[in-house]
Amino acid sequence: MTSYPEYVPYPFQAEHHVATHPVCTNGLEDHSHRVVIAGGGPVGFATALGLAKQGVASVVLEADDSVCFGSRAICVSRRSLEILHRLGVGAGFDAVGLPWTGGRSFYKGQEVLRFEMPQDDNQQFAPMVNMAQYSIEKTLLDGVQAYHHLIEVRWQTAVTGITRNEDGVRLAVKTPQGAYQLHTDWLVAADGGRSTIREGMGLRLQGTSYEGRYVIVDILMKSPRPAERLAYFDPPCNPGSTVLVHKQPGDVWRIDYQLRDGEDPEQAILPHQVMPRVQSLLDMMGETAAWNPIWVGLYKANALTLERYRHGRVLFAGDAAHLVPIFGVRGFNSGIDDADNLSWKLGQVVQGRAAPALLETYSSERVAATHENLSYGTKSTEFMAPPSFAFDLMRRAVLSLAVKHPELRSLINPRQSAPIAYGDSPLNGPDEWGTHGPRPGTVLPECPLTYVSTHGDHAVFLSDQAGHGFKAFVFTADGVLPQAWCQVGVDRAADGAMIAHAALAVQAVSLGAPHPDAVDVLWDNTVQLPHLLGAQLGAVLLIRPDGHVMARWRDANVKSRAIVSAWINQLLAANQPTAIGVTP
Amino acid sequence: MNPTELDNAYSHLCHTMTRLGETDSQLFLARLALLAMNRFEDAEDAKAWIDAAAANVSS
Repeated sequence: MTSYPEYVPYPFQAEHHVATHPVCTNGLEDHSHRVVIAGGGPVGFATALGLAKQGVASVVLEADDSVCFGSRAICVSRRSLEILHRLGVGAGFDAVGLPWTGGRSFYKGQEVLRFEMPQDDNQQFAPMVNMAQYSIEKTLLDGVQAYHHLIEVRWQTAVTGITRNEDGVRLAVKTPQGAYQLHTDWLVAADGGRSTIREGMGLRLQGTSYEGRYVIVDILMKSPRPAERLAYFDPPCNPGSTVLVHKQPGDVWRIDYQLRDGEDPEQAILPHQVMPRVQSLLDMMGETAAWNPIWVGLYKANALTLERYRHGRVLFAGDAAHLVPIFGVRGFNSGIDDADNLSWKLGQVVQGRAAPALLETYSSERVAATHENLSYGTKSTEFMAPPSFAFDLMRRAVLSLAVKHPELRSLINPRQSAPIAYGDSPLNGPDEWGTHGPRPGTVLPECPLTYVSTHGDHAVFLSDQAGHGFKAFVFTADGVLPQAWCQVGVDRAADGAMIAHAALAVQAVSLGAPHPDAVDVLWDNTVQLPHLLGAQLGAVLLIRPDGHVMARWRDANVKSRAIVSAWINQLLAANQPTAIGVTP
Repeated sequence: MNPTELDNAYSHLCHTMTRLGETDSQLFLARLALLAMNRFEDAEDAKAWIDAAAANVSS
């Protein structure tokens, strides 16, 4: 009998958490909650952190007793890193993640594509870092535990039933210490691809499931080879197959290979099938170090989504709302975008600063984002796991022509995750700047800046600026705000509405050298903002708490702080948020 | 065509072939080649593209 390298554990020790049982009367928890989040994965934890940043408490229910096991999400995008830094857990990602900027594709052993993701000197973060999901979850959990006064994680607590009414949601849960029920005003369903909440509400994901299967193998191997995305089409080591290789932190290598038509998936994950294929791949790559398998699993691509992500007081996020193919790394990253979008809106609603209708924009914006993610993910999948003879034949045509015909190489590009714009959002306000720079709905480009304060000058980035409520950038020559933006205490809520003020932060941006008396000024010391943003003297740019551009006004003397504040409050208080009809 | 337009045309081609099925796709590709060939500049040009498509086809 042939012997294969022995299985070894991941270089990661998951902590196991005990179950808790709250004080109940007649099986119902005495305390009622404002927000309960079903699912202690990346999306659930990120949502809890986003709420806690606004001072809103939540309870996270997780069926397991630890962070996840096995090979799941591995690529964290630049946009996700911006969000994670804002949530206060970025340092953990910087410390562990392996940054990379591009990749190479091969056909029959010959290089046919070399791609680079957008990267320049302005960037604070790499376009992508690799990090295993167990590390991602652990890093987020560390952040969650630092907010223990606002976030309670209940481990080994599985949702078994859901009853909805006008005031909220009642959940039935079971724990090793017994079952109980609890009430929450709002429920975030972030309980993954096999969402119990989704099932319990009788909702179905719609879209396409692909037949082609991939085997996923994590191995432990020391190699100085840099982190990049490697794709081998029809490689000499495994003719007819497609193989993807990603380096991960801790000497873990993730290998994905496509099963050939007719191969039995159950057989394909047995050692006598897996180990020789891994060995022949490593031989082909010229990797000679000893290696050990850690984990083997199967993957089948899905492109599915719910029609709407808000169902009354239940909000779906991450894989519970949509399943995006792995090719293009949009699963985890779109889930983090969901959490970022949802948490500020739910925070505003829970704190009485916005009407519940604001949550409709969570659904419409993120459903649109999913459709964009699915259109790219579907194209990637059609290339990586051809769903018919036609896609297979055409792929062979592209790959065999790509060396001599570079104009065809874009068809091999993996269409990696990129920030999504909410171009049609009802929250988008006036745009008086013309077509230059980031239009309402888009994410700000990155730019290094200097923050001038009484404590001295600090190097900062434009992407650091989000996450502090609504923020208006007022573009000045020397950091001195016009009078219309200096007034304090003039914010007024919409007529008669019991809506507290949404905080509007004002940030003076100095396009030239700041005046010696100006403090708390963002100084464009590299003189890039006029070009990057299209920013002109005296103009105003408003961003949302998630960093998406909301409105651009030409004249700060006409659109005063009071007017912009009132406009935001009116928009948030509306029963159907729409920028049309609200006077900005 | 820019990369996005090429990508969309490529997808449309693949979906069309899928719809026609494997047998009819051979004739379909021949017809497409014929229509495309008619848009070439001249016979020289047509010959060059035919030779380019034939290069290494069976390797």
